[in-house]
Amino acid sequence: MGYVDVTGVRHTLPDGRVLLDEVSFRVGEGARAALVGENGAGKTTLLRIIGGDLVPEAGAVARSGGLGVMRQFIGSVRDGTTVQRFLVDVAPPAVRAAWEAVEAAELTLMETDDDAAQLAYADALAQWGDAGGYEAEVTWDAVTVAALGVPYERCKYRELSTLSGGEQKRLALEALLRGPDQVLLLDEPDNYLDVPGKRWLEQRLLETRKTVLFVSHDRELLARVADRVVTVEGGTAWVHGGGFASYPAAREARHERLAELRRRWEEEHQRLVDLVRTLQQQAANSPDMASRYRAAQTRLARFEAAGPPPDRPPEQRVAMRLRGGRTGVRAVVAEQLELAGLMRPFDLEVWYGDRVGVLGANGAGKSHLLRLLAGEGVVHTGSWRLGARVVPGLFAQTHAHPGWLDRTLVDLLWHGEPGRPGVDRGRAMAALRRYGLAASGDQVYGTLSGGQQARFQVLLLELSGATLLLLDEPTDNLDVLSAEALEAALAAFEGTVLAVTHDRWFARSFDRFLVFGSDGLVYESAEPVFDEARVARAR
Amino acid sequence: MTLTDDPAVDQAVARLSDEFAARLRPQVIGTVVRTCRRDLSGVPVTALPELVERLARTRLEAGV
Repeated sequence: MGYVDVTGVRHTLPDGRVLLDEVSFRVGEGARAALVGENGAGKTTLLRIIGGDLVPEAGAVARSGGLGVMRQFIGSVRDGTTVQRFLVDVAPPAVRAAWEAVEAAELTLMETDDDAAQLAYADALAQWGDAGGYEAEVTWDAVTVAALGVPYERCKYRELSTLSGGEQKRLALEALLRGPDQVLLLDEPDNYLDVPGKRWLEQRLLETRKTVLFVSHDRELLARVADRVVTVEGGTAWVHGGGFASYPAAREARHERLAELRRRWEEEHQRLVDLVRTLQQQAANSPDMASRYRAAQTRLARFEAAGPPPDRPPEQRVAMRLRGGRTGVRAVVAEQLELAGLMRPFDLEVWYGDRVGVLGANGAGKSHLLRLLAGEGVVHTGSWRLGARVVPGLFAQTHAHPGWLDRTLVDLLWHGEPGRPGVDRGRAMAALRRYGLAASGDQVYGTLSGGQQARFQVLLLELSGATLLLLDEPTDNLDVLSAEALEAALAAFEGTVLAVTHDRWFARSFDRFLVFGSDGLVYESAEPVFDEARVARAR
Repeated sequence: MTLTDDPAVDQAVARLSDEFAARLRPQVIGTVVRTCRRDLSGVPVTALPELVERLARTRLEAGV
């Protein structure tokens, strides 16, 4: 069994700003702790400090039981790394070192086959055996069978780039869960996993008796797996000892408590300042008061030296004002519609005010449907039309705007688009401020983070005055707080919403669901359906 | 198990005796192989036969 104990950790950025200060928490044996916080708050830095990649400026990290780390980039490996190399990298350090030694000795032996080289090779093999290398190979075989369905001997030279993102994640997770390390640090383990993959991940994390600290933006995963939540915000970290269900309330209560403590400190400070002033005047008139004046001065100095308690962290204020407007009762009508040969013809009626979740397998044509309704040219048969006063607004997956990449946000707002009037700089900045994007107004779209791009797209929807929102995976890149803001905005939106999503938490806020089956059948469901298989298509 | 009834040693002695019969006495080959086996103590059992034989051959060839 293992644990992680972080005490008084401090980290300063190269430009001198203090990123983390006085960070203390403990993840006890067998705990499953989630690490949450806004992008840039220092989650990954904290994980790197715990993992030993970074040395904290002050404080200490104690841990026992061996540490296994899954880094964020796993899932997007595109270089020549082989499965073998990858498994070695996530293996314990002793096994890794022994494997490197065997590799080196084998190379030497190929070049010079003398007495010394043979003995060195024999020594490396002995080390490999002592370090548990043979046991590791048995584990790796179990890992590849579980993750890829192939024994280790058949896939060890296969390149990782030939595996999908989900397969890479599964491989890493299986290796860590079956490995000897008792403490696992997982940086976004759910990225690249589809819903059945996420369910599998949840199950595995619930089953394991290891200590797990993970970063995730998936609220469903957080709610099911985490038994405590470590929040990184305001330059420090605090722990909520319960699950994610009670977390928002606990966070709100903590913020109020901090604000209250700060207010009390400021009141007391003001009282002392006033006292010093009064006594100063009295001391000028009467020498008897001089000693009381000095005493009050000392008290004030001591009070100020102790410093104020930490203020409540600045709220990430994302105020989305999607207004919409009254439209015809039938917002969308489609008859015998069929897109690009992807599905069987289907009928669809969407009423004003409906919240329709579009679910189904990857590659079944969900995004095509949204693009068709947004008025883009999509090959189709059958008929469709929008109701009176229905103005579609499309939120595309973040990479779908090649023309925007090298333009600034203010510029994009200034020029407008057909259906969206341009706005001057003052109004543009005001709108950007509400979305927490004011500081990035003159930044180029392509350099924004995924979350910022997503917030900017919602802003464009607001300005276009759309009454039918067509959202393609809107919560994909949003941190937990922005996703909640988007949900609140959609709840207040007067109009119709069609959204493609695989975010189970987000899907709960919809009334009905249009499911694109892997067999080409499109059907309606009152409950969300997430286990449609991937569409099998000849490649 | 003593070194003398180690299968790795027996196999290596048998094969190397055929190979070096014309140049070396079997006792010498046996001694060299057993020395190699001792030098290779700690090597995983599955890798032993091959490593013992290779090392012994290298040493015998160097000695001839």
